[in-house]
Amino acid sequence: MYFNILKKDLKRKKTMNIVLLLFIILATMFVSSGLNNVLTVLNGTDYFFDKAGVGDYVIITMGENSVGNISNALDNADCIDDYRVETAVFINQNNVTRTDGTEINSTSNVALFQAVDNAKLNIFDKNNEKITEVNEGEVIICGKYMEKNNVETGEYIRIKASDVEIDLKIAGKGKDAFLGSEFMGNYRFLLNKNDYEKLLADETLSKKSMGEIAYIETDDISALHTYTTKIENIMFEGRRSQLSTVYLIEMIAAFIVLILSVCLVIVAFVVLKFSISFTIAEEYREIGVMKAIGLKNGKIRTLYIVKYLIMAVIGGIIGFFASVPFGNMLIMSASNNMVLGNDAGILINIFSSIFTIAVIVMFAYSCTKKIKKLTPIDAIRNGQTGERFKKKSFISLNRTKANPTVYMAVNDILSAPKRFMTVIISFFVCTLFVLVLVNTVSTMKSSALVNLFSVEEPSHIYTAASEEFIGDNTSYEKEDYKELINEMADEITAEGMPCTVGRHFIYKYKITSKGDEFAGNFFQGINISADEFAYFEGTAPQNINEIAVTPQVSEKINAKIGDTVTVDFGTEKIDCIVTGYFQTMQMMGEMMILSDEAPVSSHYLVGYSMNEIRFTDNPDEKEIEKRKEKISELYNLKDNEVQNAAEFCAGCVGVVPTMEAVQYLLLGITILIVILVTVLVERSFISDEKGQIAMLKALGFKTGDIVKWHSLRFGIAAVIAAILAAVLSIPATDLCITPVFGMMGAINIDYNYEPLKIFLFYPLVIFAVTFVTAWLTSLYTKTIKTSEVSGIE
Amino acid sequence: MSTVLKAKDLCKTYIVNKRQNNVLKNVNFSIDEGEMVAVMGPSGSGKSTLLYAVSGMDSITAGGVEFCGKSIEKMKEKELAELRLDEMGFIFQQMYMLKNLSVLDNIILPACQSEKVKESRKEIVQRGEALMRKLGIIEIADNDITEVSGGQLQRACICRSMINNPKVIFADEPTGALNRASSDEVMSELAKLNREGTTIMLITHDVKVAAKCTRVIYIVDGNIKGEYNIGRYENPSQLRERERTLNNWLMEMGW
Repeated sequence: MYFNILKKDLKRKKTMNIVLLLFIILATMFVSSGLNNVLTVLNGTDYFFDKAGVGDYVIITMGENSVGNISNALDNADCIDDYRVETAVFINQNNVTRTDGTEINSTSNVALFQAVDNAKLNIFDKNNEKITEVNEGEVIICGKYMEKNNVETGEYIRIKASDVEIDLKIAGKGKDAFLGSEFMGNYRFLLNKNDYEKLLADETLSKKSMGEIAYIETDDISALHTYTTKIENIMFEGRRSQLSTVYLIEMIAAFIVLILSVCLVIVAFVVLKFSISFTIAEEYREIGVMKAIGLKNGKIRTLYIVKYLIMAVIGGIIGFFASVPFGNMLIMSASNNMVLGNDAGILINIFSSIFTIAVIVMFAYSCTKKIKKLTPIDAIRNGQTGERFKKKSFISLNRTKANPTVYMAVNDILSAPKRFMTVIISFFVCTLFVLVLVNTVSTMKSSALVNLFSVEEPSHIYTAASEEFIGDNTSYEKEDYKELINEMADEITAEGMPCTVGRHFIYKYKITSKGDEFAGNFFQGINISADEFAYFEGTAPQNINEIAVTPQVSEKINAKIGDTVTVDFGTEKIDCIVTGYFQTMQMMGEMMILSDEAPVSSHYLVGYSMNEIRFTDNPDEKEIEKRKEKISELYNLKDNEVQNAAEFCAGCVGVVPTMEAVQYLLLGITILIVILVTVLVERSFISDEKGQIAMLKALGFKTGDIVKWHSLRFGIAAVIAAILAAVLSIPATDLCITPVFGMMGAINIDYNYEPLKIFLFYPLVIFAVTFVTAWLTSLYTKTIKTSEVSGIE
Repeated sequence: MSTVLKAKDLCKTYIVNKRQNNVLKNVNFSIDEGEMVAVMGPSGSGKSTLLYAVSGMDSITAGGVEFCGKSIEKMKEKELAELRLDEMGFIFQQMYMLKNLSVLDNIILPACQSEKVKESRKEIVQRGEALMRKLGIIEIADNDITEVSGGQLQRACICRSMINNPKVIFADEPTGALNRASSDEVMSELAKLNREGTTIMLITHDVKVAAKCTRVIYIVDGNIKGEYNIGRYENPSQLRERERTLNNWLMEMGW
């Protein structure tokens, strides 16, 4: 008999049961993929670094006589457990072209060319398998080089350096734990041993362009510094934790997926609880009848629990299988460049699916608890609605002039807010998250972050380094660079664009603080003063013996404002006072500022910024865009080499396209959730209010009025959720995103909020989707006949 | 007196499990303005179907229904809705009302919805309150529908059915869910409304209810078996006699 009742129930409430099953599938899918992603993201870079064998400390050396330096310095270091050294040829990226000679990338950043047999770091292919072989005549390129420069697998590239010229076919992309991040700026090219030897055959390359990379295992990095300061030609050195931070951009996307997963899990459970309690509440009349004919509580409860168990198991199994591709899709934006995973793997999905099934059965169990307390009469009389017996709404139709359908919609929400809470919470959570991401992307795309990459005030135009700065110009000193920059300013001014041009340079000097030695990066500008950086505490360094530091550096070298550290400029050592704190995301915040007068030398130059052009005649935005084109033509620069302030910031952050993709993915998922929640809840409401709908129709209300009434309720709920989300998105953005930027060196973020987007566009999208879905779903009321008013239980 | 409702060869057929079920078979009857007609008959005889068919709530299979001279079987759903809203009033056995509205709001809802009603909201409210006062339930105006008794609620339903000054009130077993005392109160009110000129068609199983009507139609198996005109009910002293004669007639009909 039970089986028959169950069968009839599944048949009779087909739509509701299908919608509920759909939600069980979604809940399982969200919970399984969500939990798996949470673990994956939390493991994040550690998993990748362990798999690749990055070690605890990494050093790169480059230049003449650099091969062998690392081993010489570290061989006797007793603080080291183990270390591995690999050699590579360092060639400027602009020496890699297409086979027809066209440029791929004009940057002068070096790329590392290495024989796959010689690699001491595990590099992985797109399927996360270790790359052990590269065919002769082929190359595997690591990082985002291919996406960034629009080259694809199968294409040929030409490496032309010194007297060597080799054409290689791109065999694929590699995931490089050390140099794979956009922030490192250097790419690794894995070659076949024979091709690598062709490069080494060139005397200039083998003498001047060789370098080493060491992966060191140690528990005592402080002791290690004693040995590393002796190594000449260090191009980069950093701890494992520091390397992790360069993946923060990838991890931002991953963390967004994590938060999204948590949101989806919340929404899934809220909706499940609603639908189960609602469908069971609907069945109180039947429950009452069953009790009246003598069925025991336990039997009745078992009936419903079995029904939900069957649905939960079916939904759970489907959800489990769907969770694997869905989870991969979510994490894809982050895993393109990284090997992400966790040791538990698919077990997490299985566990999560079982957990979801258990929760559903628990919900069903708790919802059927009320059965025990009810007498048959109670169940028949009151169980159907479960309404409370007290004044419901504080508004009244007889005191308003509102249209009855509009009033009924508003009144329903005010009278039974709990019923609409599922809708409001679900929409609020999803909309809030979309808006936080919108605010983040808007900020990244604007010039708001300019002080995190350069000085406080944005310049009008930023241009890539012109030819004079590239190549073997290391003999240039500050005055030579100044002359070049001023010449550039004169040329641009002569074209009718009066301006000044400046840029800042990054030097690497040894510093000693409280007896410990460190290598530190320093800014010093030409035509850009130290005063122009944004200091949030203290003042700019004015004198030769003053420096400013970031909080990260302050912590690393244990020097606060007022403390003195010794900077070794090569020619002289100067005791410098720390005068202020500033923030930057350059070098992950590990930067200092020298005074304009500090005695710098190009021997210690490790990098420089773009040219910053400031027009002196205050052009408007349109004019700036025109001038961008003119300057581009004047210096034969590509589009991405001439940028306005917003483009400069977006370029520095580098993750904007990924974030935009995640934003649209999230919006898509939010819309999907909105549609599903609306359909489920509206169908539940129609089912519950069948009697009232039939009565209204009998009284002369048209189907259109009923549809309007029902759609408006969802519209109002969506508006409430959207307003709440829009208002709270501002503090929520600060709360969630500032710590992420903080990990990359930023302290205070001046977010760029776009009111039209957060208060109008996105809320409107959510409202429109909700309203249209509710409207379409409520058209089902058309099938309720007026004559049903007599037959309604 | 003019005819407000006329059914001509009215048929209603349902198909259940591929079997044709003729619920109404060529039913012919008419109701004049000011009449109060009770439809009686055994369960399943087609009483409610007849009421829903002639009030435009349900479609008909064949024949025709004229309401105030207009054929309603050809009307579209929207026109029928307007007709029900502006020209008809309804009272149901289950005292259906919107749960989230107060009693007064439920009563004035059809007037607020009607495009024909040109009064201000204030005037509508005053009219609703006047009706409530007339039926002795003004004290429950602001109450929730769950806070009042069944009799009070059914009287509120009568007020709602009257709010748009309908030409006919259709009542489907209006006292079916009430106890005797409440039932008497409700019927007294309906009879009073009828004396004041409102045309009423009601379905009932109760002889005491039918005895307060002007005419009784007896229906069996979808056919009208007989009609009995008992004249207007004026005061309670007539009631016993009316019940007795009606009972006798019903016995003849096979009740």
